[in-house]
Amino acid sequence: MTRILVVGEVDATEAITKLSTEVATLARALADALGMETLGLIPSAGAEGGAGEFARYLPTVVVDDGVASGATASERAATIFAALESSLTDVHHVLLPASPDGRDLAGALSAFTGWGVLANATGAGSGDDGLVVEQSVFGGKLITRSTFTDGLGIVTVRPNTVTAVAQDAPGTVETRTTAPTASVAGVSVVDRIESEGAAVSIDDARIIVSGGRGVGGAEGFALLQDLADALGGAVGATRAAVDSGWIAYSQQIGQTGKIVKPQLYLALGISGAIQHKVGMQTAETIVAVNRDPDAPMAEFADLYVVGDLVEVGRALLDQLRARAG
Amino acid sequence: MRSVTTADRAPGPYRLGEEHEMLRDAVRVLADERVAPRAAEVDRTGEFPEDLRRLLADHDILALPFPTEHGGLGGELLTVCLAVEQLSRACATTGLILAVQELGSLPITLAGTAEQQARWFPALASGEQLIAFALTEAEAGSDAAALRTTARRDGEAYVIDGGKRFISHGSVADLVVVFAVTDSDAKRHARLSAFVVEVPSDGFAVTRLEHKMGIRGSPTAELAFNGLRVPAANRLGEEGDGWSIAMRTLDRSRPGIAAQAVGIAQGALEVATAYARERKQFGQRIGDFQQIGAMLADMDAGVEAARQLLYKACVEIDAGAADASRWSALCKLVAGDTAMRVTTDAVQVLGGYGYIDEFPVERMMRDAKITQLYEGTQQIQRLVIARALLGTAD
Amino acid sequence: MRIVVLTKPVPDPASGAERLLPDGRLDRAASPAVVNGNDEYVLEAALKLVEAAGEGEVILLSMAPATAPETMRKALAMGAHRGVLVTDPALEGSCAVATTRVLAAALKTIEFDLVFAGVDTSDGVAGVVPAGIAALNGLPYLSYAAGIEPDMTARRVRVRRISPTGFDVLEAAMPALISGTQALGEPRYPSLKGIMAARNKTIDTLALAELGIDPSTVGTAGAKTKVHAWEPPPPRAATRVIRDAPDEAARQVVAFLAERRLV
Repeated sequence: MTRILVVGEVDATEAITKLSTEVATLARALADALGMETLGLIPSAGAEGGAGEFARYLPTVVVDDGVASGATASERAATIFAALESSLTDVHHVLLPASPDGRDLAGALSAFTGWGVLANATGAGSGDDGLVVEQSVFGGKLITRSTFTDGLGIVTVRPNTVTAVAQDAPGTVETRTTAPTASVAGVSVVDRIESEGAAVSIDDARIIVSGGRGVGGAEGFALLQDLADALGGAVGATRAAVDSGWIAYSQQIGQTGKIVKPQLYLALGISGAIQHKVGMQTAETIVAVNRDPDAPMAEFADLYVVGDLVEVGRALLDQLRARAG
Repeated sequence: MRSVTTADRAPGPYRLGEEHEMLRDAVRVLADERVAPRAAEVDRTGEFPEDLRRLLADHDILALPFPTEHGGLGGELLTVCLAVEQLSRACATTGLILAVQELGSLPITLAGTAEQQARWFPALASGEQLIAFALTEAEAGSDAAALRTTARRDGEAYVIDGGKRFISHGSVADLVVVFAVTDSDAKRHARLSAFVVEVPSDGFAVTRLEHKMGIRGSPTAELAFNGLRVPAANRLGEEGDGWSIAMRTLDRSRPGIAAQAVGIAQGALEVATAYARERKQFGQRIGDFQQIGAMLADMDAGVEAARQLLYKACVEIDAGAADASRWSALCKLVAGDTAMRVTTDAVQVLGGYGYIDEFPVERMMRDAKITQLYEGTQQIQRLVIARALLGTAD
Repeated sequence: MRIVVLTKPVPDPASGAERLLPDGRLDRAASPAVVNGNDEYVLEAALKLVEAAGEGEVILLSMAPATAPETMRKALAMGAHRGVLVTDPALEGSCAVATTRVLAAALKTIEFDLVFAGVDTSDGVAGVVPAGIAALNGLPYLSYAAGIEPDMTARRVRVRRISPTGFDVLEAAMPALISGTQALGEPRYPSLKGIMAARNKTIDTLALAELGIDPSTVGTAGAKTKVHAWEPPPPRAATRVIRDAPDEAARQVVAFLAERRLV
């Protein structure tokens, strides 16, 4: 019986990330389909709190405290590699969140193990040859299905691929210590700076209210923030808005920004050019407001309002607030 | 390890290489952002745009035609023409700044000594100095060989008397290449010599600036020479080489005018196309009517054909083709006539709006006309081509 | 100061013409190749650092088909001093594992203080190769850089790394590998001087044999992953257009969202 290893991430408050719980849910479904078992791993000392929450999604979670809590992704990868060679030799697949740290970890782990990587999975299932991973390529133009040629591999999973579902009963948590075998060149964290009023992350937001050139300025984004608050979502932006200095790069969606898959993408004053489209076109529902009836967005939005984004936006905000009572 | 320089890949005749595309795009961005906004004003005031000349200098555009050892960028004819085309798309006067810089310096490139090139090229490449080409006279236009300005040897200098007409940049140039008769008894084409006159100079005067139909920001001057002394060290080549220098210069400079013409035509086509997309009459955009669509299609076909002939001519001339004169004349003939036709049609597409200065096409039509006239009229181009086809009489 | 910049020619995302070959590999002939977008940001950062230092060089390193010199030309025109290209027909169809191994081996033939890479490429978007190269070569790896400050005297480098709540400041000894993002700043347009000067810059090519890599372990032959099937995504439903006055339009939007249980 082979196992699927799910590597979980904890955030700065030591809580397990939402994406990790989604990956765990996906892993359980895969294990059922493939006749495998799952194992969760958090390679970070002192992560017992997050591990407890993680264990709601997996039968067993191991906290490996052979890694300092502030270690880099490469150091975590070295510990995982050592474990794969010693206590986890029956693990043939490793699933990771496709977060920045997750990708770094996947890269280092792939180098240590020589295993292939299928990145940014938007789905996974079983096929004739075992694990099949679904990916979205060419800015969403094609959906591909791929496998590992030797049955061993690493998969990074995108946010909102599945909804996290806890098990009926929580799993168990154990602690182990594995000494890394590969050496990793040290990187020290000298400082951690929290931005004033750091924005809600768009990475795994369920709802994103996004603005483009049409918003006209930083003040215009205040309306979007209000709408995002009313809807329980995050504020996103196009490159044009970020380049103009109206909003931080962390909120940029598109080719050189982030690729998101929220349940609702509300686009205000966004033309929908290809560089932005590739970042959001797989959103489940797309609603757009734009003065231009012929913008590219009109071709792939579900609902397209031709109008002034401030007028429509304010009316929408009023009505949403009224609904909430 | 095998080394491959990116210079190994020369552009093929049917596709521009990556380098040419990058260069073209770099100039286009500059033209769109900095030159186009000034074009209407340059035409209206008729003032030479010093600011744009400095812009071209600052961006090394004026350095394109000059060799690298003198601070130039070592661009070939195609490279220079790509730049002229993109500039002219926005403003024909500005495209001409580069074209004339090339025209004026070609005699020095073709016939100057290493010392002369080292003396004059650096300031021309940096754009600090401008150079003009003074061949035409009031009584010697198409019949250039009949010019009458004289240069009489006097010790270590020549004394030049006479005058020139229709000299582009004649009033803003620091150097003027003057063609003059040094031996009136010699055979027709051995009478002339070429001199580089450094301005200001005693005996050199600008006596008139023309008010023109188009390229109004480009100063077109009448020059007068009265006992103008020029050092013998400023003569290009030998006495009697003047005609040959002039003709070889025009063979290489005519593509620059063709490039200006193609640029003007492209600019007009773009304005007409945008208008045809936006303007609605009878309930639909006018571009969807067959008469307009057909006009635009013919305009596009014309511009593209002129452009491809231009690029091909540049490559052939640079490769040392024996029939360089024919290529040079062909591309200028086709491009000039195309520019006139396309700009006239562009005005037509815009209807009444094409006739007023709210839109640039009336200026483009006025600008286009000169490309059928200078650096050899279209009739002279036909003469050159026919001669190339038929050879001389037995 | 010697900075190697990893660059990859990718199908031009703006062309919309990307497609796969019948065997699932990327069809590189389908659309013109351009320098990967993220690579331009790190290249710009490298050029600025070398210019500020007043000495040093920026060296491009790429694993690509033999036509790559054309794409590297733009990077040379921006100011990179020279390029190294690993090219070999056996490399066609390489997966991320092979790419990592090959680039890591090529890097060992170059002397450098820093290596920069874009966080991901627009064709693969995996974002795993830079971390892998660092791991193989024992280089400190600092990722998602929004700011890079080398200290050549102390032989250390500081990086501002974007975090969910702001940024972290990381530090490591040189030589180090850094992956960077758009936050590093707009890349320059190549100047005319740069475009013309690129003609005379060299690109040295390396074959697999020189790197001691067995061809059967790379390319399609050695690929660890395989694409089996592909299709366009399910088409979205037709767009419903609303042109009413703001209040009425908003009412319809809310009804639409409620229907889909988003509010």
